[in-house]
Amino acid sequence: MAYVSMGEAHRRITEYMNRFCDAVSYQDSSTLCRLLSFSSNSPPLLSLADALNVFQDASSLIRQSDKFSEHGEILAHLFRSLQSYRVGNLVEAYLAFEKFANAFVQEFRNWESAWALEALYVVCYEVRILAEKADKELTSNGKSPEKLKAAGSLLMKVFGVLAGKGPKRVGALYVTCQLFKTYFKLGTVNLCRSVIRSIETARIFDFEEFPRRDRVTYMYYTGRLEVFNENFLAADTKLSYALQYCNPNRERNIRMILKYLIPVKLSLGIIPKDELLRNYNLHEYIKVVQALKKGDLRLLRHALQEHEDRFLRSGVYLVLEKLELQVYQRLMKKIYIIQKQTDPARAHQLKLEVIAKTLRWLEMDMDLDEVECIMTILIYKNLVKGYLAHKSKVVVLSKQDPFPKLNGKPVGS
Amino acid sequence: MNQGANTQTVAPLDPNSMENRYGVDGNQPQISSYQYSTGSDGTSWTSHQPVENGNYSNSNYYHPQPTGPGTGNVQEMPNTASFTSSSASGTANVAQDYSGYTPYQTPSDPHNYSNTGYSNYYSGYQQQPSQQSYPQPAGTYQNTGAPYQPLSSFQNPGSYAGTASYSGTYYNPADYQTTGGYQSTNYNNQTAGGYPSTNYSNQTPASNQGNYTDYTSNPYQNYTPDAANTPTSTIATTTPVHYQQNYQQWPDYYSQTEVPCAPGTEKSSVASAYSQSFPVPAVTSEMPASNGQPVPSYAQPWRQETGSSQPAPSQQPGVAGSTSNDAYWMHQTSTVQAHYPVPPQNHYQSPLETKPLYETPFQGHQRATYPQELNSQSSIHQAPLGYRQPTQTTPSVDTQRVSKLQIPTNPRIASNLPSGFTKMDKDSSAAGATQRPAYVSVSMPKPKDHTTAMPDPGALPKSLRGFVERAFARCKDDKEKASCQAALREIIIKAKEDKTLCTRDWDTEPLSSVLYTDVTSTESSSTLISSLQNKSPTRRPKSRWEPLTEAKPFVKSPPTFSTGVKFGGWNHQNENNKKSSESFPKVDAVTGFKPSYAGQNSAKKNFQRPVKRQRFSGGAATAIDDEASSDSDKELTPYYSSAMTLASSAEEKKRRDSRSKRFEKVQGHSRGNNLHKPKNANVGNLHSRRSPALRLSRDFDESGNRAVEDIDWDALTVKGTCQEIEKRYLRLTSAPDPSTVRPEDVLEKALLMVQDSQKNYLYKCDQLKSIRQDLTVQRIHNHLTAKVYETHARLALEAGDLPEYNQCLSQLKILYAEGIEGCSLEFAAYSLLYITLHSNNNRELLSSMSRLSEEAKKDEAVRHALSVRAAVTSGNYVMFFRLYKTAPNMNSCLMDLYVEKMRYKAVTFMSRSCRPTIPVSYLVQVLGFASASTEGSGGKEIDGMEECSEWLKAHGAALIADSNGDMLLDTKASATSLFMPEPEDAVAHGDRNLDVNDFFTSSRTL
Repeated sequence: MAYVSMGEAHRRITEYMNRFCDAVSYQDSSTLCRLLSFSSNSPPLLSLADALNVFQDASSLIRQSDKFSEHGEILAHLFRSLQSYRVGNLVEAYLAFEKFANAFVQEFRNWESAWALEALYVVCYEVRILAEKADKELTSNGKSPEKLKAAGSLLMKVFGVLAGKGPKRVGALYVTCQLFKTYFKLGTVNLCRSVIRSIETARIFDFEEFPRRDRVTYMYYTGRLEVFNENFLAADTKLSYALQYCNPNRERNIRMILKYLIPVKLSLGIIPKDELLRNYNLHEYIKVVQALKKGDLRLLRHALQEHEDRFLRSGVYLVLEKLELQVYQRLMKKIYIIQKQTDPARAHQLKLEVIAKTLRWLEMDMDLDEVECIMTILIYKNLVKGYLAHKSKVVVLSKQDPFPKLNGKPVGS
Repeated sequence: MNQGANTQTVAPLDPNSMENRYGVDGNQPQISSYQYSTGSDGTSWTSHQPVENGNYSNSNYYHPQPTGPGTGNVQEMPNTASFTSSSASGTANVAQDYSGYTPYQTPSDPHNYSNTGYSNYYSGYQQQPSQQSYPQPAGTYQNTGAPYQPLSSFQNPGSYAGTASYSGTYYNPADYQTTGGYQSTNYNNQTAGGYPSTNYSNQTPASNQGNYTDYTSNPYQNYTPDAANTPTSTIATTTPVHYQQNYQQWPDYYSQTEVPCAPGTEKSSVASAYSQSFPVPAVTSEMPASNGQPVPSYAQPWRQETGSSQPAPSQQPGVAGSTSNDAYWMHQTSTVQAHYPVPPQNHYQSPLETKPLYETPFQGHQRATYPQELNSQSSIHQAPLGYRQPTQTTPSVDTQRVSKLQIPTNPRIASNLPSGFTKMDKDSSAAGATQRPAYVSVSMPKPKDHTTAMPDPGALPKSLRGFVERAFARCKDDKEKASCQAALREIIIKAKEDKTLCTRDWDTEPLSSVLYTDVTSTESSSTLISSLQNKSPTRRPKSRWEPLTEAKPFVKSPPTFSTGVKFGGWNHQNENNKKSSESFPKVDAVTGFKPSYAGQNSAKKNFQRPVKRQRFSGGAATAIDDEASSDSDKELTPYYSSAMTLASSAEEKKRRDSRSKRFEKVQGHSRGNNLHKPKNANVGNLHSRRSPALRLSRDFDESGNRAVEDIDWDALTVKGTCQEIEKRYLRLTSAPDPSTVRPEDVLEKALLMVQDSQKNYLYKCDQLKSIRQDLTVQRIHNHLTAKVYETHARLALEAGDLPEYNQCLSQLKILYAEGIEGCSLEFAAYSLLYITLHSNNNRELLSSMSRLSEEAKKDEAVRHALSVRAAVTSGNYVMFFRLYKTAPNMNSCLMDLYVEKMRYKAVTFMSRSCRPTIPVSYLVQVLGFASASTEGSGGKEIDGMEECSEWLKAHGAALIADSNGDMLLDTKASATSLFMPEPEDAVAHGDRNLDVNDFFTSSRTL
């Protein structure tokens, strides 16, 4: 930490307060954002933090001027938070920032126009980020992390401020997205429901009027929720919307969307191009897609096993696992095609023996009962048309379109 | 601010003044007085006196107090003794002492009482004392005697005329105990009982303890008569006339004061905790009364005393004492009244709201008042002053150290004073129990009381009862009694904490500690309150629980323990009272004046007692309530009885006999006792029921600031003593009783018993729940705990009791997280299966799967569970039923619950996919109907066939028979006809094995 003289510290603090008060009085949101953005680690803020550490009694400076003391509470908490943040005491920094945020939101509530929305966004973002950092610190100290939860309730409060009618409603979706991030991180996604209801049932405000970035984020998270519920059609809609409106330059965001959209599309029978997977660094899906194309059950299982942790964490494991039936279907189709080439007359009769033999080649050791069971399921799920003659151990395929394509419909429907 | 300043200033001042005073008093008067007392009382007294004298005479006296509460108690005892002695010994000495004190007083006064009014009072007091001198006091005493009579007419008549009346009054107090009316009643009684010492002692107990009602009533009643008898015989007769005139005016005051007292008590009771609150209220009321009508408050006690003395000749001895007391009182009242009023006001008003403030003010006031009194009436007042000063000092000390120190000090004192204690005990037994009797030779009646009391109680050690009785017997005044009660309470609580309640030799326990506490408590009411607050938290937390465990063996039940603790406090007070009473007798024997001093002290104590009560109420109010609630008679009697047994000496036996005789004589008392008993019993039941909760609540109340996390749960943990292996589960509605909780080794046996038991699940579940409860109550978290929960979880799985299983599993997760090695993998598998098959929550499944370690995935059970999950998610019924047959551990039990669904699913699939038919034999094989038995055995096959066809029919499948007579499933027909039948035997808890009838039958057989 560079040495800062008392006078310099005094100057920096006073300058900051001047800028803050000017920003508020001129309703200069962008300046205010810069003044509040901790996580940007901007040089001015860092130097201010150093100055605050030198000049301990910033509150006396706040009291010196009426202009400053008007925002005295906000500034005092902000300074304390910045000071703690600078010295690495993140828990303290969060606590002070939470107080600052409360004071700021209170002030924001009093401003009639929504000029400070951007600043509020920054505050919401910083609260969440600080809470996450503080939780990390708490965890490393062996204490129970609880700051993110507190941040969640604070954000909920902010959402309440914005969710009503009026110009400030535009900001509600941003806060909703911050809430999503918080809840997903906490694993309390069921708390999202109330927020979603509030957003989707409000007829007074068209969803399209929200900022695009917020809409994309919102759709991404709600799409993820649908994936968990295995509601593939809805998930496809939402994630596709997100992909459609996502800034094409934000590759990371696109990748995040694709991470969920691809499994959804796969389970709807839609297979992505390899380019897409490669372009967006989604290699974990390459083998899965190949298995689907080839009907290679072994490959699918290997792929799932290989990336099990990742798929489990992202929550697509079960979705991908269900692709197995499609792989079976592909396999049956291959057998059917081969039979058609060799013996067109009896091509529509798939002997369970043959299937079991095929599976053995794939190192899937199954007896006839199991094969029969799988065929039963395939027929039942309408992946195979036909019937199974139990007595003769033969699957009799329909002569018309024995392997219907999903065509965007989920399996079993 | 003033108060605070006063406290600070006072503390320093007091020591000095105290030392000086003590030095003076102790040097000459005390010793002499002791001697006198000893002469009058007998050897027992001498023994006590020496101790007391030593304390008093020594400048250490004050110092000791600061060091520890126990010392403070001891000091108090000496102080009282010294006072009485000083008064008895000679006015001249006292006067000198007081003169010496006066300077202190003045300084203390300014500090304490910033108010000019106080200074005036002081000056007036000083002047008056000087003028009054001994002769005047005597006159005053006489006068007081007269007024007393009228006053006594209220309560006294009953008490004196018939012991029954007293008992009645006492009983009422007992009833009131909870309400808080006690103090007022007590006061009335006390005053009525007139006698100061005896009455006070009785009163204080009664007022202080609802619990004690029996005690108080019995002992006190006895005492009062005795005391009255003894003193009155000589002095009372003469004095009454004068007093009457003076006091006639007082009656009015009394009436007024009485009224205020009652309300005050009520208020106080409400404000304060349970029983304790009562005492406090009473005090407060009294104090306000004294403030508003300072004279009246004093007058009441005095009047009552006088009245008591006058009404009954037998009481006259008491009157004599009272007269002397009255004289003191008079002085006090005249001078003191003014003084007191002011101080009380300050103290009480502020004190009521803030205890700390009170303490300081009280100290200051007390000190101030003491000096004033001393100055004003050298001889008479001196004694009071000396008392007060000591008390003041003690209070200050108490405030500073009281809470923590007192407890320890008591033991010390005991150790120091063992010889004295034994003597004390004797005294108490003779003089204390029938303290006055010893003095008057009327001791016989008291013994009776004691004896009566003895039989009733059964919970507390007899020796402890004897100790309490002794203490109360010594109490000169109500104040002393109150303080004594408080001290006794503390001692008993301590004893419980130390678990020495039963083991301690109460017969040899020095009363000095109690008496000291009395003085401190009475005089430094404010300080006491603070001290109580301070002390109560430290002591009570321990006492509540630790005592419980220990006490239980002694007392039969937790409530009794609590009562015992409370009673202990009361006992202390009683002891103090006894001591004071004893001192009074001594004084009486020596001179009439000494009694008067005692009376003054008592009066002061009365005022102060309330304070003490307040303290107790604040901290130990609940405890007091409990005590009060619990049958004080019963509990106390045990103590007494134990004391009796312990005291095997011939003297003790003689005393007992005499007591019993007295008891027989005192019918009124007995009546009173009877009356009290029912009430007490009721209260006791209520209290006993509440007691555990109360203790907890008390802890909170007492600690006040204490956060829940600060509670020492280890101290609260129960250590079971039950050796029964079998125990039915009963949901706890109160704190567990160690006698019904099994220790760990017994629980281990119980677990084995359950595991080996051939009885049904309901029995096992009941047993396991009781084991779990005992484990929880004793906070046992180890492999045994895990074993119990695992066993229960497996049994629950076996019986399909999922709710119970889930309870166990959630506990097991905690235990495993704590690193306790159990079958964690086995239960991880169960957990996986449960989520897969029953919760159907993908997120939960994903997270639990992602949490599985590599090691866990290699475990057979876990692998099996994962395979089952895969089979279920893919609908692979063949795989599922194969896994079902090969399930390790209890996995199949969890799968059992899914078999029905899986079969239905499978049949649905097949009837949709397969054509034209499927042989039932195939279904039997694939869908696990043949169970795990070898498929080759024909019989089982057939059983499976029948079971399968039954199942298929029940689910609407169409069955046909082919030419060979084999049953076939007509898939096409079945495809549309299959349905999931409503489970006929559906039960809310999901297992028909647990249907109501089974439950009833099983529960009957349990």
